[in-house]
Amino acid sequence: MTSGAHPSFTIDVGSASIAAALIAPLDGRRRLLASAAAPVAVGAEPLLRDLVGRVSAADRAVLPDAGRWEDWPRIECRTDPPPRAVLAGISERVLEPLAREFTRDGWAVTATVTGERAQAYETALAIRDPDLDLLVVAVPDGSAHDSAAALLAVVGAVASLRPQLPVVVSGGGATSVPGVAPERLLHGHGPADTVAVSRQAVPGRLAGREAFVRSVASLAQVLDLRVEGVDVGHEAGTRAMAGADGILRRIVLAEGALVPAAALDDQRLLDAIARWSPLPDDAYVIRDRLRNLRIAPWRDATSDGARLRLAAARAALERLEDAWHDDGRQHGSGLDRLTDRHGHVPATAPDLLIASGGAFAAPPGPATALALVDTLRRPGAMVLAHDHARVLGPIGTLQDEDERRRLLAELVDTALLPLGSAIVAPGLRAARRGTVRVTVGGATTSLPLTPAAVQVVDLPPGVSATTELDSPDDLFVGARARRVSFEVTGGLGGLLVDTREIPLRLPDRPERRRAYLDAWQRPLWTNAEP
Amino acid sequence: MIGSIAPDRIAPRVMMLSQPVVRIALHPGDRPLVAAGDRVEPGQPVLERLRHAQVAEHGLRGHAMPAPGTTFAGGTAVAGSGRRTLRFDGAGEVVCALPGGHVRAVVSRHLATVESPVDGTVVGLDAAALSLRADGMGVTALIAVGEPACGPLVVAIEGPSAELRGQRIDVRHAGAILVAGSRIDVESLTRARAMGVRGVIVGGVIGTDVHALRASIGRQEASIHASPPFALVVLDGYGKRPIPPDAWEALTQAAGQTVGLATTPPLVLLPSDAAPYAADRSRVRVVSGPYLGRTGRVLEMIGLRRLAGGVYRELARVALDPVVPPGAHDIVELPIAELERHG
Repeated sequence: MTSGAHPSFTIDVGSASIAAALIAPLDGRRRLLASAAAPVAVGAEPLLRDLVGRVSAADRAVLPDAGRWEDWPRIECRTDPPPRAVLAGISERVLEPLAREFTRDGWAVTATVTGERAQAYETALAIRDPDLDLLVVAVPDGSAHDSAAALLAVVGAVASLRPQLPVVVSGGGATSVPGVAPERLLHGHGPADTVAVSRQAVPGRLAGREAFVRSVASLAQVLDLRVEGVDVGHEAGTRAMAGADGILRRIVLAEGALVPAAALDDQRLLDAIARWSPLPDDAYVIRDRLRNLRIAPWRDATSDGARLRLAAARAALERLEDAWHDDGRQHGSGLDRLTDRHGHVPATAPDLLIASGGAFAAPPGPATALALVDTLRRPGAMVLAHDHARVLGPIGTLQDEDERRRLLAELVDTALLPLGSAIVAPGLRAARRGTVRVTVGGATTSLPLTPAAVQVVDLPPGVSATTELDSPDDLFVGARARRVSFEVTGGLGGLLVDTREIPLRLPDRPERRRAYLDAWQRPLWTNAEP
Repeated sequence: MIGSIAPDRIAPRVMMLSQPVVRIALHPGDRPLVAAGDRVEPGQPVLERLRHAQVAEHGLRGHAMPAPGTTFAGGTAVAGSGRRTLRFDGAGEVVCALPGGHVRAVVSRHLATVESPVDGTVVGLDAAALSLRADGMGVTALIAVGEPACGPLVVAIEGPSAELRGQRIDVRHAGAILVAGSRIDVESLTRARAMGVRGVIVGGVIGTDVHALRASIGRQEASIHASPPFALVVLDGYGKRPIPPDAWEALTQAAGQTVGLATTPPLVLLPSDAAPYAADRSRVRVVSGPYLGRTGRVLEMIGLRRLAGGVYRELARVALDPVVPPGAHDIVELPIAELERHG
């Protein structure tokens, strides 16, 4: 697919924006030389031409064959709007796990119907949705014959009017659907298998988000670290954690979009997003600005608009976090290594947390770092990075695992922008003080460790430090301890030492909440003033 | 091209579409009055729709099951003949047969018609939707509420940034589509509907007003008597937003002619003899920030710059058109993300 000897492009085509990067050999290895993003309506060609022009203007020798850039290989990834599915089942109890599995796989479940008489009109209306991609009929083994027959009669009759609509039968309680030709039917067993089978009905529609997950897994192998990747885009959010054994968990969530489509008509959802906004505007103004962010996502990306966008990104990360924990509680033993004994608090932070997606294109790096720490709260230390050129998605489309790892290994220094490190250590009681000692190259700086606060320690990119926390109370950093030490690296946001609780609770009163948010965020935006 | 990045890096917005296809979703019980390939004109009934639809069941009494999707008029036989004829109390559509030998249908005694918003051709008809290809042009919009509607176009304001006040809407506008400027409030929308206005085209709208209008339309649908269709089409987003210049130009040219409003996708449908608007692709419009709605011309592409708050943006130097002529051009540096290219 790519050749180490020639330049190539990565292109990530999203629903709202397009990002491109130019990769070329330099000093014996491939490096990311330039990247840019634009509204998707601009298209790839102007971006690629611009990248080549910028690099050539800086150093013509780097791209000796620049005139033939249109022939260079392109590694392209595309993310589509979530496929839409209607789930029909004999009971809500049957549909609940199925709906959870579909929504965690990136589907938009537009309706769940049980085929009762009162729902016949709604069933017909839902299945006749012109934008529907899939109908799933869940009839588990041992279902009551009458209930199953009544459901299949209604659903099959309506589905017979949509000959192009794929139908998946989930469970062993039915082998056919009346009125639906057998060749149209796909069969799944449990919820997970049904989701896997359903993907065949919408080939490629979820491939872009899977590619991101694959890259996270490959990166974990390359770095031999536990890596977590989170991608917030216009249509969905993706979160994946990988370690030495491959992918540990992943979710793709339509609700994890920057401003989900449902928010246009759901004031409560808009208000939940607005809770993260430090802007003092009236609530109805904020709601309309958020609606505009949904329908015209590229606009309003500077000044207050960047802050509002990051508030929306925080809310999206919060929804991903909630779904992640919800999944943890549902799946039980497989998640023991990630959650505490209550199933609520993740045991430890990942070694490396990477942010990606159009949501993080506008805000400055330090502010993005705090947004990650505010929402994906894990006790312990982690390194934060930004996939600023959005290369992880395209690289994940490479089918050859070795080639994927080689490319990631070569690009890791230039494609992952270091945002800094974060130590999340709740536990210090009110009015108590501890000490933070940061040692860089033999020189130690001491700072007070204060409760329920986030402190920013200036630690430039590329600088490593040993950080010790000394507390009169037990700090929770995966284990409980009064004195802990971490090796951290610097970045645009430096080192964030966070003693706030997990999860972060915001005051209900708007003025007080905005004051808190402003106090936490101001140092990171102010430090970024030109 | 001047400067370090090409002008084509500025996002284009296609305001005008030639011969767009609009879609009307079919509900259970809808009876199409046209077939694929038929010609339609604005205001022509294309669907018969059930109002207050209910689900009803009837014993098949040994008759053959009518095919799902079969539509029937009120009082007509759905199956069988003679004294054992199977009839429902109202018009509707067969949904399915049940295992116990019953047929289930969606029925209603109250019918309404859905009108074509376009002069064009039926290009698709299935159980899910009716698709119509317009002969003329479509002005693209971002939001639409209500049902497809059509009527003579009345430009009711002086300029694209003006606002239409409710007091200026009266019975003379009955049956018309009003161009209402940069914003309309819910009181004016209510008054417009009360005066028989068929639709409103506006640059921006407050989100809560959209909710109020949806609720009002819902309440009206629940009433006994059907009201004429009404549509609100919003060209540029939420809040107060001037009508984009291309759209303003096209709408003022079409004043007095019959136009349509489509909701899927949101479009203003201009008649086939409307002159296509030739957009000047070198011009730009500011779509956010303090210069919202201003138009101008890009003088120079500046490149990547660091702005307040540490945000990096690509900038362009733009000569904004004078607000009140005669006046000097304002020359400003703006992020290209805040610009839209015409055409």
